[in-house]
Amino acid sequence: MKAVVANRLIDGEVVFWKSGQWVERFGDAELFDSEGLVEQAVSVGKSQPTVVVDVYPIDLVQSEGCWAPLSYRERIRALGPTNEPTHGKQAEGGDAVEALRHAAGAARSTGRVDLIRRK
Amino acid sequence: MYQYDLIDKEFLADRSAEFRGQVARRLAGELTEDQFKPLRLMNGLYLQLHAYMLRVAIPYGSLNPTQARRLAQIARDYDKGYGHFTTRQNIQFNWIKLKDAPEILDKLAEVDLHAIQTSGNCIRNTTSDPYAGATAEEVDDPRVWCEVIRQWSTLHPEFSFLPRKFKIAITASAKDRTAAKVHDIGLLLRQGRDGQQGFEVIVGGGQGRTPYVGPTIKEFLPTDRLLSYLEAVLRVYNRHGRRDNIYKARIKILVAALGAEEFARQVEEEWSKIDAASADLPAAELTRIRAAFATTPFEALPARSEAFETAKSKDPAFARFVRNNVRPHKQPGYAIVEISLKAQEQTPGDASADQLDVVADLAERYGFSDLRVTHAQNLVLPHIKLDDLPTVFAALQAANLATPNIDLVSDIIACPGLDYCALANARAIPIAQDIARQFADLDRAEQVGELKIKISGCINACGHHHVAHIGVLGVDKKGEEFYQLSLGGSGAEDASIGKILGPALPADKVASAVDQLVEAYLNARVDGERFLDTYRRVGLEPFKEAVYAQAD
Repeated sequence: MKAVVANRLIDGEVVFWKSGQWVERFGDAELFDSEGLVEQAVSVGKSQPTVVVDVYPIDLVQSEGCWAPLSYRERIRALGPTNEPTHGKQAEGGDAVEALRHAAGAARSTGRVDLIRRK
Repeated sequence: MYQYDLIDKEFLADRSAEFRGQVARRLAGELTEDQFKPLRLMNGLYLQLHAYMLRVAIPYGSLNPTQARRLAQIARDYDKGYGHFTTRQNIQFNWIKLKDAPEILDKLAEVDLHAIQTSGNCIRNTTSDPYAGATAEEVDDPRVWCEVIRQWSTLHPEFSFLPRKFKIAITASAKDRTAAKVHDIGLLLRQGRDGQQGFEVIVGGGQGRTPYVGPTIKEFLPTDRLLSYLEAVLRVYNRHGRRDNIYKARIKILVAALGAEEFARQVEEEWSKIDAASADLPAAELTRIRAAFATTPFEALPARSEAFETAKSKDPAFARFVRNNVRPHKQPGYAIVEISLKAQEQTPGDASADQLDVVADLAERYGFSDLRVTHAQNLVLPHIKLDDLPTVFAALQAANLATPNIDLVSDIIACPGLDYCALANARAIPIAQDIARQFADLDRAEQVGELKIKISGCINACGHHHVAHIGVLGVDKKGEEFYQLSLGGSGAEDASIGKILGPALPADKVASAVDQLVEAYLNARVDGERFLDTYRRVGLEPFKEAVYAQAD
């Protein structure tokens, strides 16, 4: 399963693709099980340069019955910094946030790999 | 401190207006992200994991209360009520919106602050001694030369597109609080035999993935020839520094490839071609700049303060603070006060807006309106009367700013790491907090003595792990956070690069490993040795055994 992530241009907020829109909560993100649809969403995202930047797909893993980003970096992006539990998306709390916090699994983040490649 | 004149002020206002236009064009789609990114970076604006990050320059780590209060206001109005002081004596705001950035730059410019040259392949903020103008150790005030370099390097057309970023440090004391030997250029101001002052010039030090302690390429450069010589160094680098590979583009790689002697020869050759009269600073301009730093109106006071001595004997907490955070001042009756930003559970280097306001008030009321930032992510009130120290201490205590741990095991340098930084492999802040918790007992921390722990979340080494007594480097093992320990580094006058202890450890084993290293040191130390001294005497093996033996 995959989702598509980006930063909103105007404020840098981490956003997720949901059927033609960008949403702020990972819990609201569209989940893809088809590579073709992921590529399509990424390509639409990349055609919106005044809305978002750094659009890329992320791999997901199951946690407590929910889906969560597989890479630790992407879980931090979906939650906020671990040193300030009231800052960022995690501030609103709730089951979805807890499920993300408890998620395990590890993989290199495609975002970071892209960043290094671009350098 | 140096006062901006009309030219400086107009320049900052223009620059801010220019960026406002660039942001508007980007939002309107007239600039692509690839076109815009270098423009925003030239104004210190990065895109990090959760938001934009704005890095504001604090020239040579020197702030006045008006500026500190403005930073506090920006933290409140545009961030989440705090700022993060960095290992380059700058401050970063982690939650900035692109749309707000031009307004923030306007507000900074109003108090002579900016974010110019805090990013990009140019000459960055010059690092300097946070005790400048206050310590009896110095042969001259290094800030004078930092300000000279600031003015010379600001938007220098020839040096705005170097192969890579370029960092200069200046110290005028034998005790180096700037990490000069691991900068691109380290300038050590010395008194010559004939009474003239000159710089020992070190070139090609650095950290990152290829750490070097820089070699000396000139033993004694007369101070009045500084700018032409820097120009010659930069020119050789600009011409021959590698542009094909970002990891080999720093001047340290060039110096190592040519050898220090050949590099020095090329610099001398280039230097001989430069017209000194047009390149070096006119004496009148030096006098003008120097005047801005020579005006601290100290009172003539006795060296001993009764109020201070009484407080010290009555209040053990104050006595502990004095032992660890207070340093001798050149002027009798005064002291240098270090403010630790490393309280238990605090993020190293973070200061809240309220704390910034408290420190600004103290600087204004008791400290000649002078405030400094250290590369160890702490603050300094450089000129406090001994008579006022108990009052200042009480105010710091009330603001959770009186942690008495400067240079002790819990005074840990940590980069923002994977909690904020787009480049990081692993988190640094929680590791620092774990270690600090392990050594929360201040008696034990004092018993351990000077121990510099520095943590970086990736090989770029913003957390200076290579030059730590105990360095911690976050690595990514198939997506999991692991930490590689190294021992025996130093960023001070006895600079050295640390050696890797052994295989990387998982996050939950780092603090206990540091504890094992400290126990091994306490068992082996003789005659008041620091951790670093013991390591240098006994080598890596006993420490390796302490951490890895049980694991076998």
